[in-house]
Amino acid sequence: MYVTDTIRRGSRSLRSAKARTILTSLAIAVGGFTLTATLAAGNGVRDYTDRLVKSNFDPSELIVGRDKEISNSGAPNTAPKEFDESISSLSLGGTGGSLQIKQVTDADVEALKKITYIEQVRENIQLTPRYITRDGQKKYTSLGEVYNPAQKPEIAAGKIPLDGDIPKGSIAMPEGYVSVLGFKNAEDAIDKTVTLNVRQPFANSSPQELLGLLQSGIDLNAIAPPSKDVSFKVVAVTKRAATSISFGALPLLLSAPDAREIYDYTVKGTSNYGKYIYVYAHIKDGADEKNILAAQEDLQKKGYFTQSSKDIQKQITQVVNILQYLVGVFGLITLVASIFGIINTQYISVLERTREIGLMKALGMRGREVRSLFMLEAGWIGFLGGAIGAIIAIAIGIPLNPWITKKLDLGEGNSLLIYRPLQILGLIFALVIVAMLAGYLPARKAAKLDPIEALRTE
Amino acid sequence: MIKVENVSKVYGKKEGTFTALDSVSLQVPDGATVAIIGKSGSGKSTLMHIMSGLDHATSGTVTIGNKQLATMKQKDVDRFRATEMSFIFQSFFIEPNQSCYQNVMLPLEIAEVPRSKRRQMAQAALKAVELDDKIDSMASSLSGGQKQRLAIARAMVNKPKLIFADEPTGNLDSMTGDKIMDLLFELNKSLGSTLIIVTHDHDLAARCQMQVRIKDGKIENLKGKK
Repeated sequence: MYVTDTIRRGSRSLRSAKARTILTSLAIAVGGFTLTATLAAGNGVRDYTDRLVKSNFDPSELIVGRDKEISNSGAPNTAPKEFDESISSLSLGGTGGSLQIKQVTDADVEALKKITYIEQVRENIQLTPRYITRDGQKKYTSLGEVYNPAQKPEIAAGKIPLDGDIPKGSIAMPEGYVSVLGFKNAEDAIDKTVTLNVRQPFANSSPQELLGLLQSGIDLNAIAPPSKDVSFKVVAVTKRAATSISFGALPLLLSAPDAREIYDYTVKGTSNYGKYIYVYAHIKDGADEKNILAAQEDLQKKGYFTQSSKDIQKQITQVVNILQYLVGVFGLITLVASIFGIINTQYISVLERTREIGLMKALGMRGREVRSLFMLEAGWIGFLGGAIGAIIAIAIGIPLNPWITKKLDLGEGNSLLIYRPLQILGLIFALVIVAMLAGYLPARKAAKLDPIEALRTE
Repeated sequence: MIKVENVSKVYGKKEGTFTALDSVSLQVPDGATVAIIGKSGSGKSTLMHIMSGLDHATSGTVTIGNKQLATMKQKDVDRFRATEMSFIFQSFFIEPNQSCYQNVMLPLEIAEVPRSKRRQMAQAALKAVELDDKIDSMASSLSGGQKQRLAIARAMVNKPKLIFADEPTGNLDSMTGDKIMDLLFELNKSLGSTLIIVTHDHDLAARCQMQVRIKDGKIENLKGKK
């Protein structure tokens, strides 16, 4: 018997027992539904993290640090590190202690700049101006950073170059500042001037000395180091992107030279000057992952610790994967249950069709052909179940997507459930195979049926 | 030519054995009509099963043409049955949920007849039993006589050399049964197939060229025009 004839005969006999066929395949459909939804959610979350990482990290950039914690992504080492006397270490939370981070120095930056595969090194400068204000307005606290085009900040008004730096003397301001600084709206702020006040450090004054001065009743303002105003033209108003990883307040974004100038003014002379927890190194032809990996390996040899956008993505994805496996296991359990359903149904079918099987065998149909007929019927049930499950999952998921996006605040254009046709086809195919395997035992019983016995059933 | 030589069939082992056939020998020339007659339990069905290769003899040989069934592989016996033999049963064994056309197609599918020839062969077979107007009707809608005619169409669609009929009129009233018999003998003439009928209907048996009467597993009486 040709396979096509077998398939047609199989589907025909399933059609003549519609209710049973559909009920059995619904059991598979539950598994198919769960797995389709799980895969779709996995796709969505992975796409989302992908976008998250891409919009926060330039894939051709490496985060380069001197401390192992950089590549550990902050996971504390179980064993304490040896205390480092050198001044290039930054101690967080007191003097020394467990959170000592070895920093990248200006010398390191110079060395990195000389490496041929590094096109550009960007220091990770955090600016802490005293306040931001503008004519006739109150003063407000603020934070500043160097503008990084890779982070693609969301724009509420104005323009920001998507490659390269923002012009010197310009600033991009988060929308939170718009109303407090007396602008009518974001558009209104564009091309207006704002002023940052920055102050030089308390040179060579240790906290103890400052405390002593305070206790002796001296007004600190009297001995405060000089400060100055720097004015900037607002070129853009930014808002928090849905895919932004940064927590806390959005920073003001400045051009690299401006930021450096302020940094020099505010930090020069302190022990923290010229030291960074990490810097960004732009790798030549970094779009090619091979170059990134080669650079990482080489920098490791040179004593640096690095992290690529891929590394960061992996860490996020790992959590997603674990969740997906968990839900997937539930899907598999329902599948196992439906396998017994198929076995049961097919056994009944074999019993019901004893005479038909006997006749077919009497007419010269071979045992293995009978077996494939019944296995194919089971396969049809699997196909139906998989298709029903997938269709329901898609039919429910697609209209639900905008609601989920809103609820989870994923941001415009991001969907939690992403269906990939090939993946779904692959899943249905796998379900067909599983169903066929489930149908093996009943099919074998049919194949072994003695035609004489079968035809004697009067 | 079908040669049955010293065929015995014994069921069970040691004590409690039952001899269904005891050294049966007979020869059937090609194109003959043969009636195997006997009471129920006489062994007539067992003889038919062994002659068709559905069952194996405990001893003795069955030779069809130049092929000895007992020495053939199961695969070849199946193939042989699919291409050279056919069956008609007392209770028809047609698939009620399928159309007449689909019922008749079954032997063609099993014998892997090229798809292009099937439709025409099926139509011809249904025309021969005067069911060509029912080709797409469900088999369940047919009357008893029509069902048996459908079974005959299915049996002859592949133009087999050998047709076994097991009590073909047993479930039919005598009028319809006579018509079915007429049809079977007509087919025997037009196709030249050998027709072996198992029956206890003496009128039917009398119309056959050979009558083999079986009693307690032995041939009691063998009549026939050579």
